[in-house]
Amino acid sequence: MARTRSKLAAKDPVQEPTTSTKALPPSAVNPPKLFILPNDASPEARIVTLLNPVNATPNRYLFCPEQGFYEFTKIAAPRKAPRSWLIAPHQTLRDETSKTFPSVEHGTAENGKEADDLADGEQQEGAISISKGYITKSADLFVATPLDTLFLLLPALSPSKSTAKDTQKQLFLSLDDHLETLGATTPHLGQLLQSRKLRDRIEERMSDVCDMVNAGEEKMYRLSHPKLLIILLSKAERMSKNGFPASMEDRLIRPALEIPIMSIKREESDISTSEAGPTQSESQSSAQPPGTATPSTSDSQSTNTSVSTAATSLPPTATELPESKPTISAPEGVLHLLRLRTALAYLLSSYVPSLLHTPLRALLSSSSPINFSPLDAHLAHLTSLRAQATALRSLSDNISRKRGYNDDEEAVEARAEKKRKQDEDEKKKKNEPRGIKQLKKVDVSGMRKLSTFFGKAHVKK
Amino acid sequence: MLEARLEQANLLKKVVDAIKDLVQDCNFDCNDSGIALQAMDNSHVALVSMMLKSESFSPFRCDRNIALGINLTSLTKVLRCAQNEDILTLKAEDAPDVVNLVFESAESDRLSEYDIKLMDIDQEHLGIPETEYAAVITMPSTEFQRICRDLMALSESVSIECTKEGVKFACQGDIGSGSVTLRSHQNVEKPDLNVEIDLTEPVSLTFSLKYLVNFCKASGLSSQVKLCLSNEVPLLVEYALSNNSYLRFYLAPKIGDEE
Repeated sequence: MARTRSKLAAKDPVQEPTTSTKALPPSAVNPPKLFILPNDASPEARIVTLLNPVNATPNRYLFCPEQGFYEFTKIAAPRKAPRSWLIAPHQTLRDETSKTFPSVEHGTAENGKEADDLADGEQQEGAISISKGYITKSADLFVATPLDTLFLLLPALSPSKSTAKDTQKQLFLSLDDHLETLGATTPHLGQLLQSRKLRDRIEERMSDVCDMVNAGEEKMYRLSHPKLLIILLSKAERMSKNGFPASMEDRLIRPALEIPIMSIKREESDISTSEAGPTQSESQSSAQPPGTATPSTSDSQSTNTSVSTAATSLPPTATELPESKPTISAPEGVLHLLRLRTALAYLLSSYVPSLLHTPLRALLSSSSPINFSPLDAHLAHLTSLRAQATALRSLSDNISRKRGYNDDEEAVEARAEKKRKQDEDEKKKKNEPRGIKQLKKVDVSGMRKLSTFFGKAHVKK
Repeated sequence: MLEARLEQANLLKKVVDAIKDLVQDCNFDCNDSGIALQAMDNSHVALVSMMLKSESFSPFRCDRNIALGINLTSLTKVLRCAQNEDILTLKAEDAPDVVNLVFESAESDRLSEYDIKLMDIDQEHLGIPETEYAAVITMPSTEFQRICRDLMALSESVSIECTKEGVKFACQGDIGSGSVTLRSHQNVEKPDLNVEIDLTEPVSLTFSLKYLVNFCKASGLSSQVKLCLSNEVPLLVEYALSNNSYLRFYLAPKIGDEE
């Protein structure tokens, strides 16, 4: 596993993987895994199994007594483009690994050299190093990223005795009591809690998020939802400050704020053919700040007048034009609020026990320091616009949308059924004996059906 | 369950051959008295009624009423695999998916076995009353077949006129007209060639020749055929089989076509 370094070092400043070798017992069955570990982690850093704060399933975390907890993020090759790692040892690196723990400076300085050496080494002893290499099937990379100790504390701070919680407030408990419940969750954590440093760190984080009472010598703690919310909000704020990565923006932010496209294109061209006025109204529309409700109504009046002066008034056009205005984007604050809310939702879903979700959400809507109401208003506005757009669409081009989605399936089914029946009939006809076919040609005019002569027999079954 | 052993596969072969050009699918209703079949053609102007009494089989066992919905084309295919002299055994469970046919060759030790998948057939059953017909004509089945075929050359329909002089089959077509008249006739040496006319009142009816020709496919089953006529009532063409079994065809007359 120590060999992983050569590959990683070439890509990234990388922490000595010796830590991971110690923590994960090497197993012949387990293929090597690639980790990117923090380079300032202490030699005592361990990979430990703790309970995931959200769903209480065992998860691997990296614990460093100095830096705290790290979670692992798996970066995998997309399933459509499978990749593998070739992990090969390198001469210069092997020397290096003999040192138990190189300093940070050493590691980074080595980086450039390694890259050069890699080329040389390839010629000199490439054959050896590659033959000693290992190819992992899955090109997964595990990146350790810092995790706030707070999140690991939350399950212990909000025990799942939901029934008692409903009736009365949670009790104030001493730090030791809290640590005891925490340590009972996993044996690893119990062991880690022996460390003084971690206890101090936990105490510090707890004081941030808990109400405290002094009971004689001891401090007593109780989880405070408002405090937790403030911390979460600040984290979300930091997450969304510079906007999300492009892929997240595309997936989460843009569609939510997308404004349905009304059939404005055609309407506007209608005007331009019939009158000279529209340039004015159009320039107005582009100059107009993207749309809150009040400016758009005022604008609708102005367009209305321009159209009516042109005397070729198209009533639907006049009503639709203002609706087309907010197409450009949402008001500035709304975008930020949406990002914030998305970030918060992400934090809640991936780090906060589900038990806390409802109280936190309630708190957020009732007495949060951030007012989400503009966002809600804007989103409601958009939904109504969307509803209008679909209604309009089904009205205006009902040729292509004659059948709704639901009907479509039924129609397909009906058609398939019809076809099946037709096929069956055809097959039947093919198999029809000649005599029957000939009898079909018989002129039966004047011949009454036999059922007019013979009554129906009582069904004997 | 049903188990019916027929000494000669030939009988069933001929019966099925005779009706397979009239109906496609039909139910074989099996009960302790035998195997019965009633089906109408597509236009519902002709009806076939078959009764194979339990005495025609040896042995015959049928514990409860079973309806075997069989496609006659399929049955024909399977029956072609049987020699005329083979011993045929029909078998079916109480709620069958298939009917099982076993052909045993008496001469060799050959044993062949076939399963035919059954179908659910919804058929209306008509109650056919026992009728006293105005005219009952018994004649050689080959003679009836010949008359029908000959007249088919001229026309689509035939009028059957029965008077005390005899029975006259007459037709009128584009190329001309033709008629065949039969009189009561006794042949002591060959009773099969007898023609008997039992008349209570004169009858004249017109029928579709194509249907009659179709009925004549049963000629091989019996040397004599019985035609029963009454005015304004379907014609009955009956081929009597041994042990009171029978194959009957009914055909609606053409009314108001010629006048």
